[in-house]
Amino acid sequence: MVKKKVPDWLNSALWSSSSTTTTSFSYSDTNRFDHHSSTSASPPIDPPLPPAATRDEQQHTPRHHHNYHPRKPDIKEDKHSKSSIVNDNISNNNSNKSFSNNKIDNRKADNTESSAEDISNQALLLTELSRKVINMGELRRIASQGIPDGAGIRSTVWKLLLGYLPPDRSLWSSELAKKRSQYKRFKEELLMNPSEITRRLEKTMGFDNDDAKSESRCVLSRSKITHGEHPLSLGKSSIWNKFFQDSEIIEQIDRDVKRTHPDMHFFSGDSSFAKSNQEALRNILIVFAKLNPGIRYVQGMNEILAPLFYVFKNDPDEEMEACAEADTFFCFVELLSGFRDLFCQQLDNSVVGIRSTIARLSHLLKEHDEELWRHLEVTTKVNPQFYSFRWITLLLTQEFNFTDSIHIWDTLLSDPEGPQETLLRVCCAMLILVRRRLLAGDFTSILKLLQNYPPTNISHLLYVANKLRGQPSH
Amino acid sequence: MVLVLALGDLHIPHRAPDLPAKFKSMLVPGKIQHVICTGNLSIKEVHDYLKTLCPDLHITRGEYDEDTRYPETKTLTIGQFKLGLCHGHQVVPWGDLDSLAMLQRQLDVDILVTGHTHQFTAYKHEGGVVINPGSATGAYSNITYDANPSFVLMDIDGLRVVVYVYELIDGEVKVDKIDFKKTTATTHSAH
Repeated sequence: MVKKKVPDWLNSALWSSSSTTTTSFSYSDTNRFDHHSSTSASPPIDPPLPPAATRDEQQHTPRHHHNYHPRKPDIKEDKHSKSSIVNDNISNNNSNKSFSNNKIDNRKADNTESSAEDISNQALLLTELSRKVINMGELRRIASQGIPDGAGIRSTVWKLLLGYLPPDRSLWSSELAKKRSQYKRFKEELLMNPSEITRRLEKTMGFDNDDAKSESRCVLSRSKITHGEHPLSLGKSSIWNKFFQDSEIIEQIDRDVKRTHPDMHFFSGDSSFAKSNQEALRNILIVFAKLNPGIRYVQGMNEILAPLFYVFKNDPDEEMEACAEADTFFCFVELLSGFRDLFCQQLDNSVVGIRSTIARLSHLLKEHDEELWRHLEVTTKVNPQFYSFRWITLLLTQEFNFTDSIHIWDTLLSDPEGPQETLLRVCCAMLILVRRRLLAGDFTSILKLLQNYPPTNISHLLYVANKLRGQPSH
Repeated sequence: MVLVLALGDLHIPHRAPDLPAKFKSMLVPGKIQHVICTGNLSIKEVHDYLKTLCPDLHITRGEYDEDTRYPETKTLTIGQFKLGLCHGHQVVPWGDLDSLAMLQRQLDVDILVTGHTHQFTAYKHEGGVVINPGSATGAYSNITYDANPSFVLMDIDGLRVVVYVYELIDGEVKVDKIDFKKTTATTHSAH
């Protein structure tokens, strides 16, 4: 690999997520950390104290050194060091807490300090949620730092963030009942097959033929068909014709639902639980496709739907869990409303389409890291479409494992400007974190790397993304 | 919601060159689940064409069929209904309801589909329903020269059947329907 000359300050371990030098590294050796912190402290472009550090001073327990636990063989060592360096330099509760979140997935044993932090964040959220009228700005702020995994908090918080539940707690039960019955009506109307529809049409027109028992032997009388509706009708407005056209989409939805997350028992497998979950996903997508003839169903919508449904279905509250399908439908609509233009092919070249969004990402990268931008766009001519298309349209669900992408979604959904802005920042951060490997690579290796993004410390990624919110760092 | 196409007496190529164009434009693959054909196709090419409409094809032998391996009668169960199929030239007098009713009792079916007369008819009697889809090409029959092209599409939905009759009259496709219900689910009949 040809190593290009990179300025030292950019070459600090802070920016790269590749695991290069790890051999002599030992966790328990705090001297090592001091050494690292000194090298990174020297460059002038040390990540400045972000305005975010002033957030939530309650979390500011001076526990940084506790993060140097001799453990976590499964997290890459470099990232660990970087996060701890970051903690060293800036007491940022962000990494503290989300650090602990990530660890909870892996190890329950010696998590005393981190679970205490986690509990304090959980307590914060719970106090916020228990208010009569929830302060959405406050909630967004806390949620953007990550939501703890337990006690169904995430399910409620996401519903609030997506505007499904109103901030006023007293309206919750009436809103929920209204929306759930609306979904039930949608399902009844839209999932009916044409035979039933014609039967109902006839009933309303009074064509009831129930008196066939009168004569035992007769010529059966022919009756007129209603509205020219017959199964072989080729008319555009014919319900039969629409049914057969829809059946193609339904087949596509079926196929994609079966392929969603095949490694997770929740979604795939032979258990009746998995099958009922797949059925729910299928119904939601079909109802959405029928209600939105503009975009119908596009492959990939199942991937955006999956985390939503997973979180809502795993709500410990029984009533919430039972109505997860209806809740997921509305939240899915809300989430997609910001992104639907990306799925519409005709809008591809317009201001709101996918091309311009990718151009915005490119511009963002240029602002924050011109050298990398130049290397990607000009030198190696890697069209950002090749890697960022999937990142943007699928909201990063395909780039990270399931739990990680849920954590990223915490931050995405809590952005008051809408998930797209944060999404672009996270994508930019993803590029910056692997800049060293990108700068050293050619077209093929760059694409290989970006299309199979290496596992990263999510908290660090989100931290870097957050930093990009302000002025360009150079 | 099962769609069953019933047709027959095409007599291609001897008495008619092909199905009417308007019928052909309507009969596209992917919509129909079963095809039952009373017979007198008469050649293999017609068999292949019907096979493209739907892989589940049932044919009984008519007197002019070149393929001698088709059975004389056939029965099949679709949903809650038992259907019987026979060309009809074996039942004398041709098209007579009493004789067809005897055949229906013999086959023990709810709906009997026969042809040969090239005239659409639909009768109901105590044992069930007898349907004649007519000639899909409008070919002349042993009895008459005057035949409108017609076929039948049945929509079987639970205990209810809607029979859509497609006829080509003066160059226009006219569609009618017939509704009937079965009173009991398919059980062994006591008498």
